[in-house]
Amino acid sequence: MSRITAEARVLRLEDVAPDDGLRAVSEGRGDVPARGVERAAANDARRVLGLANISLAFGGVTALRDVSLDVAEGEIRAIIGPNGAGKSSLLNVVSGLYQPDRGQIRFGEHAFRRVPTAKLAAHGVARTFQNLALFKGLSVFDNVLMGLAHRVSAGFLRQIVGSPHARRIDAENRAAVEEVVSFLHLSDVRERIAGTLPYGLQKRVELARALVARPRLLLLDEPFAGVTLSEKQELSEHVRNARDRFGTTILLIEHDIGLVMGLSDRVAVLDYGRKIADGTPDQVRADQTVIDAYLGVAHEDETELAT
Amino acid sequence: MTTIISSKRSFFFPEIVATCLIAVVAIGAVPLVGSDYLMDAVLTPFLALALAAVGLNLLTGYAGQVSLGSAAFLAVGAYAAYNFSLRLPALPLLLDLVLAGTIAAAVGIMFGLPSLRLRGFYLAVSTLAAQFFVQWALTKFGWFSNDNPSGVIDAPVLRIGSVTFTSAAGRYLFSLGVVTVATLLTLRLLRSQTGRNFIAVRDHEVAAKVIGVPVLRTKLLAFGLSSFLIGVAGVLWAFAYLRTVEPAGFNLDRSFQILFIIIIGGLASLRGAFVGAAFIVVFPLLLSRVGAALLGSLFDSGVLEMSQRIVIGTLIITFLIAEPRGLIALWDRGWARLRAASGKAIET
Repeated sequence: MSRITAEARVLRLEDVAPDDGLRAVSEGRGDVPARGVERAAANDARRVLGLANISLAFGGVTALRDVSLDVAEGEIRAIIGPNGAGKSSLLNVVSGLYQPDRGQIRFGEHAFRRVPTAKLAAHGVARTFQNLALFKGLSVFDNVLMGLAHRVSAGFLRQIVGSPHARRIDAENRAAVEEVVSFLHLSDVRERIAGTLPYGLQKRVELARALVARPRLLLLDEPFAGVTLSEKQELSEHVRNARDRFGTTILLIEHDIGLVMGLSDRVAVLDYGRKIADGTPDQVRADQTVIDAYLGVAHEDETELAT
Repeated sequence: MTTIISSKRSFFFPEIVATCLIAVVAIGAVPLVGSDYLMDAVLTPFLALALAAVGLNLLTGYAGQVSLGSAAFLAVGAYAAYNFSLRLPALPLLLDLVLAGTIAAAVGIMFGLPSLRLRGFYLAVSTLAAQFFVQWALTKFGWFSNDNPSGVIDAPVLRIGSVTFTSAAGRYLFSLGVVTVATLLTLRLLRSQTGRNFIAVRDHEVAAKVIGVPVLRTKLLAFGLSSFLIGVAGVLWAFAYLRTVEPAGFNLDRSFQILFIIIIGGLASLRGAFVGAAFIVVFPLLLSRVGAALLGSLFDSGVLEMSQRIVIGTLIITFLIAEPRGLIALWDRGWARLRAASGKAIET
C-alpha cells in the first residue's frame, strides 16, 4: 500500500518539476540509487524546496515568468540577476508574501498555491529581509528570542503566572538563543537595543534570529547588501558555517557575484523574470546567455566574473 | 565577567531601595501625614489616570496601535462595575472590578477589529467610533444608569469583606492597592513572550508574521488587555475619586488627556505612565497657585484653563520633536549622569 502511494506521489512530482540539475547533483554525491522510483523518491526527500512554473504579474508588469527551481537539502543555492529581474519577488512568493498567478511551491512534501506566511516557521522556513527587519525596540537577545515565538504555545495568562510548561519552554528557548548568540559572536552586544547597533551587526542579529529556530530552509534576501567588504566576508563565513554546523539549506539572492560564486553550490540566474541559467558556479560563469544578459555584452567583464 | 555582574548589582541596588522607599511613603506616611485634600484631589486621580495610562501605553507604546477611545473604556468600566454592584449585590467588590475590566476588554476588542486592516492615523480615527458610540449609548439607554435622567451614577460604598474604604485615606489606599497589583501584572506580561510579540508587531509587522507571531491575535490581545486596564482605572475614577459620574465626563478631552500622559511621560514605559500622570495632575494645581500669586485676581479660571492648554500643547510639540521618549528619558539621563558623577567621586 505504501509502495503505491509512494509511486503516485513520485509520478505527480515528475510531471510538476523535471529537473536535471538536481539529478546531476544527487548523482554527483553518489549516494542516490540510480533506479526509477526509488531514485525519485529519494530526490523528494532530499528536496527542501521546489518551485514549479511560478508566474507572477503586477498589473501589466511581469515579475516572474514560468520559473522552476529546486533546492536540495544541505546546499547553498543562489539566485542572481540584475535589478528588477524578479529575485525579491521570487523570495516573497516562497515566503507567502506574494501569491503567484500560476505555479506551485513545495516544502518537502507539502505543496502550496500560496504559502501561508503565518505557518512558515512551523514548516521550518526562516528568512531575512533586504532592508533589515529587526525589532528595533528589543535587545539583541530578545530579537533572537523572537525567532522562537512560534514555539510559545502558552496563553498570556499562563505566561503571567509562569506555569511549569511556560517556564520549561522559556528555558529551552533561552538556551537555544544563547547558543546562536555565541555562535555568531554576538555575546558582547546581547543586551544592546538592536536599533542602536551598526548596520553590519544588525544584519548578523537578523541572521541569528532566522537561525535560532534551526530552520530546514533559510531564505536570505541580499544578505550582503550595504555592508563593508570585511563584513561581507565575515557574513559569508557565517552563512557557510550555519550550513555546516546546523545542516541548514540556504537559498540566497544577491548582487555581489564574486561572493556568490565562491559561496554557492549552485546558482540560478534570472533576467526579466525568466530563469536563463541554472547550474554550478563554473557552468553559470561560462554561460554565454548569462554573460550577455547579466553583464551586458562587454566581454572584458569575464575577468571580473572569474575572481 | 565579574565586572558585568558587579555593575549589574550596583545598578539594581538603588532601584530596590527606591522602590521600597516609595512603598513605605505611599502606604505608611501619606495616609498618616497627608491631608484629605492631597489624597482626594491629587493622589487618587493620579493613581486612576496612571493606571489608564499604563493601559493605553500597553496598546500604543508597546503594541504600536493608536487609540483615541480611552475615555470610552473608562466609562465602560465604571458603568459595568456600577451595574454589577447594583444588580448582583452579592458579588464582592474585587470581582466586580475584574468583571468590569473584562466587559471593557470585550468592548475594546470589538473596537480593535479595525486594527486588522487599518494603521496609524486611520486606526486612530476609527477608534473615535468607540468614544462617540459609548457616550451615546450610556446616555440613550437608561438601563445603564438605572434610569437616571441624565445618566448619572453614584458609586456604591467600597467594601472588601467587612472593611470599608470611605474616607479619603481609605479610597486612596484602595486605589493604591489595585494600581500596584495591576501594574505588577502588566510588568510581568511585558517581560513574557506576549510583551515581546507586542513590540515585534509594533516594530516590524511583516517580519513578525514571517517568524510566526500570530499578528491578528496579538493586536486584538493588546486591545483587550489595554481596555481591561483602562476599564479598571475607570472604576477607580468613578468609585474612588469622583463618586458621582456622568457619561459627559468621559468625553474626548479625557481620551486626549490620557494620550498626552503617555506622550509626555514616555511611550513604551510603565514608569513613564506614572510620571506623565503625576505631571498632568499636579501641573494645573501648580499653575493656578503660581498664576494667582503672580497675577492675583486677573488669573481667573478662564485664564487658568487657557494657559494650561497652551503650556501642555507646547510641551507635547516639544517632546514629540526633541524627546519622543518623554519625561522618563530625561529622568533616566539625569539619573545616569548623577550616578556617573557619584561613581567618579567615589573613585577619586
